[in-house]
Amino acid sequence: MATTLTINGERKTLDAPPEMPLLWVLRDILGMTGTKFGCGIAQCGACTVHVDGKAVRSCVLPVSAVENRAITTVEAVGNTPAGAKVQKAWLDLEVIQCGYCQSGQIMAAAALLAATPNPDDSDIDAAMAGNICRCGTYVRIREAIKQAASGRQS
Amino acid sequence: MSGVMRILASLVVIAIVAVALGVWYIRGPGPLDFAGGTKVALADYRAGKPTGVPASLEKASLVERGEWLAKAADCMVCHTKPGEKEYSGGLGFKLPFGMLYSTNITPDKETGIGNYSDQDFLNAVRRGKRHDGARLYPAMPYASYAYMTDEDVLAVKAYLFSLPPVRAKAPENTLSFPFNQRWAMIFWSAVFNPDTRFTPDTSKSPEWNRGAYLAEALAHCGECHTPRNLGFALDNRKKFAGAITAGWRAFNISSDKATGLGNWRDQDLISYLSLGHAAGHGSASGPMGEAVDHSFSQFAPEDIRAIVVYLRSVPPQPSPDLPAVTAPAAPASHRDGVTADARGKRVFASACVSCHGWSGESPMSPMATLTGTWAVNDPAAINVAQIVLSGTKRHTPDGALSMPAFGNAYTDDEIAAVANYVTARFGTEGSKLTAKDVAELREQTAE
Repeated sequence: MATTLTINGERKTLDAPPEMPLLWVLRDILGMTGTKFGCGIAQCGACTVHVDGKAVRSCVLPVSAVENRAITTVEAVGNTPAGAKVQKAWLDLEVIQCGYCQSGQIMAAAALLAATPNPDDSDIDAAMAGNICRCGTYVRIREAIKQAASGRQS
Repeated sequence: MSGVMRILASLVVIAIVAVALGVWYIRGPGPLDFAGGTKVALADYRAGKPTGVPASLEKASLVERGEWLAKAADCMVCHTKPGEKEYSGGLGFKLPFGMLYSTNITPDKETGIGNYSDQDFLNAVRRGKRHDGARLYPAMPYASYAYMTDEDVLAVKAYLFSLPPVRAKAPENTLSFPFNQRWAMIFWSAVFNPDTRFTPDTSKSPEWNRGAYLAEALAHCGECHTPRNLGFALDNRKKFAGAITAGWRAFNISSDKATGLGNWRDQDLISYLSLGHAAGHGSASGPMGEAVDHSFSQFAPEDIRAIVVYLRSVPPQPSPDLPAVTAPAAPASHRDGVTADARGKRVFASACVSCHGWSGESPMSPMATLTGTWAVNDPAAINVAQIVLSGTKRHTPDGALSMPAFGNAYTDDEIAAVANYVTARFGTEGSKLTAKDVAELREQTAE
């Protein structure tokens, strides 16, 4: 079925069954592999994208639910003020270890900062608890979010 | 007759009268007695055709009509074990007194119903009497199906006999004494199943009569939504007041304004029945989700409207344990609103918030919005705990929407904590579930 999606500001028309999760559309149909497949049941956060600015799990989101909504992926989150700050802090603090979960972590952190510019620890917990990192980079993630919020340099 | 004999005879008479009165009292009114209008035999009813398939299928083959009727009567959900062939039985129902398994109703001659004559099939569906003379338990809703016409029951038979036979023998029931005595169901049927066909009510509209036939004879709404009496039969004094079935709460569907359907708009009811979702009222899941996916979603629009007309006529029955008004959306920030249960909040932040949001208004899909649902406004949190345990998978015209099951990921204690947090944050009153309550709910779901 022909579907038109707005991804990173561009309108894309593609053929996908309505129940296909957005993640499959991004990775398999559009070749946008920055968004990762982790658990497939919205429990790890690796597939996080923004829909209308909010962080959502694309692995359980049927494509029929996101027509006419603004989708942002990790490929373009750097064009948003919060996303740019997060990416810079991530590089400055060498947050990434293996990296598999990190596009989801960055998307969740960018959505947090867009809504809550100066988050404290409890805000970070509330926003990031669903993003799991097998390497255990949580300490660096928390530090990088705080740095991105304050704008200070390391 | 001596004096002693006379006294004994009087006592016997008094005892018989007392038992008869008791039976009469427990039995109570029938499912359609509330309507109170003039009934006529179906053959004499000229205003419309309340029975059978919708008009669009009137010319269809017997098997096609039977297929629609089997869906309308929702035979498949109970007679199919998940992952097995359709209608091959074996689904286990956990009752307080043991396990009861549904039977294979494919036309296999040894393990299914391949040897059933038309009369055998009518006897099983409407009287709870098996081919070999043994009695069925009323988990099979034959007291509801008793309203079905011969024509409709036999169309279902023709459809089932058109399916490939599947060799599958259901496990033996493990009911304890005295519930393992099938013959005792003779008395149950004698008291609680009048075995009478649907009789139209001339004081009501043809649409109401169609709705009554669909809701009572086929969809058997009361089997989950009407509380049961001492004899485990439907207590129609509290018709559609809501009940707990298979560990899920079937909410009040009487016309009560606060806690029933009285305040639902027609379009909400139509949407809920045909799609399993109505804005501001939430989504069907658990057994009702199955009823929508496999049964109501196949109904013709005029049949859904007929059910709505019928439901509206059922007298109001309040549910005193539910709030008069459901809670509004919770605050957008995790900081504001109730934070009664720190552990529940932690689980919610890890596992739930990415789909349901801190406000309860889902950022993903209106289907996942919690605001306004009875589930989160039920201070007993039964369905919240159940959906966390077993998840849901719904098929809608826009595609599948699912919630993962967390029953194997979290302990009973964690599930109790998150259910208590969810009802406190998104409902009117927080639940007080304990790990033991959750363990009991796990025990009740069908497998």
